[in-house]
Amino acid sequence: MATDAADRVGIGWRPELAAGILLHLSHIDVLEILADSFFAAPRRAIAAMRALGREIPITLHGVGMGLASTIEVELPRVEHMARLADVLQPESWSEHLAFVRAGGTEIGHLAAPPRSVSNAEGAVANIERAARVVGTAPELENVATLIEPPGSTLDEPAWIGSIVCAAGTSLLLDLHNLYANARNFVRDPLVLLAAMPLDHVRCVHLSGGRWIDAPSGAKRLLDYHLHNPPCEVYVLLEHLAAKISRPLTVILERDGCYPPFSVIAAELDAIRAALAKGRNRRVLLGAAA
Amino acid sequence: MSSPAFEAFLARLYTDEDLRLRYLASPGAVCRESKLSNEERIALETIDRDGLILAARSYARKRRSTCSLDELSLGKRHRRAAGRHEER
Repeated sequence: MATDAADRVGIGWRPELAAGILLHLSHIDVLEILADSFFAAPRRAIAAMRALGREIPITLHGVGMGLASTIEVELPRVEHMARLADVLQPESWSEHLAFVRAGGTEIGHLAAPPRSVSNAEGAVANIERAARVVGTAPELENVATLIEPPGSTLDEPAWIGSIVCAAGTSLLLDLHNLYANARNFVRDPLVLLAAMPLDHVRCVHLSGGRWIDAPSGAKRLLDYHLHNPPCEVYVLLEHLAAKISRPLTVILERDGCYPPFSVIAAELDAIRAALAKGRNRRVLLGAAA
Repeated sequence: MSSPAFEAFLARLYTDEDLRLRYLASPGAVCRESKLSNEERIALETIDRDGLILAARSYARKRRSTCSLDELSLGKRHRRAAGRHEER
């Protein structure tokens, strides 16, 4: 199914999906490589990825820097990314707007930091440090959270907007993360989408999650990457494609419970269909204006 | 509002079960023990309790998994997978 000529659809590289990806390369426009899993990889594994990068555009995706923090990013972590980027020559790299450690404590995952002016200033300083070392600024991904971040004085779109504007970088908009945060904290996902700094979006992540029970009996949506994206996330993608003119690169993320690749391929087709519907709507809205 | 001390306290609250249980039983007392500003203490006393418990569980599960962030960065996962015969 055709989308706008400049929109691209890809998938996160996972060793478990390697055979399917290699067999369906003509169906995939771009591969996103989980950078941290290659920082200390054997030379042979990196060489294989470099060879793959000659066949298909690749991007690097980091998870361990903890850029959204008042604490200075650890330089060796950034240098790992710089070395890998130097070898693999990706077209871009990305990291999360999260903190993952503080005061010697490793949280072990991407935690939403206090959404405040001082945290945003710390994030911008860290992004600039990372950009100086790697050579280019990262695209920045919004994270899902089960907890309303304590100490927040800004709402999520204002906090993200202040960072991407000050750092002059792009937003990697994870639509399932956005959907989860909207559902967990009683906001309309479409309103939350509209409030995001959409002019900065170049890349999109799509994934699935599952509902979990809170102690109070309420339910919250956990971003889990083991399921197909729910239809509401495709609706968000369609709205996004209708709202912005910039070409989008959409990456499907899957971290386990891998289905047959035919299921993955069907999801890639569904992404193309949602993009095409959004682009068509944009054309119709433009014609009507 | 955010400071290195506040982020460090949050990181402990998310990962240290004893601290979290004491905090959930008596947020004010635990906050008074901390060296945080008044503004930061107030923010902690009104924390999203459901969210804290669920997030802490989720982070703990991630730390127990085979590919926590630090393991990924340190390459332990690859070294385990590659075994002794893989070249470095």
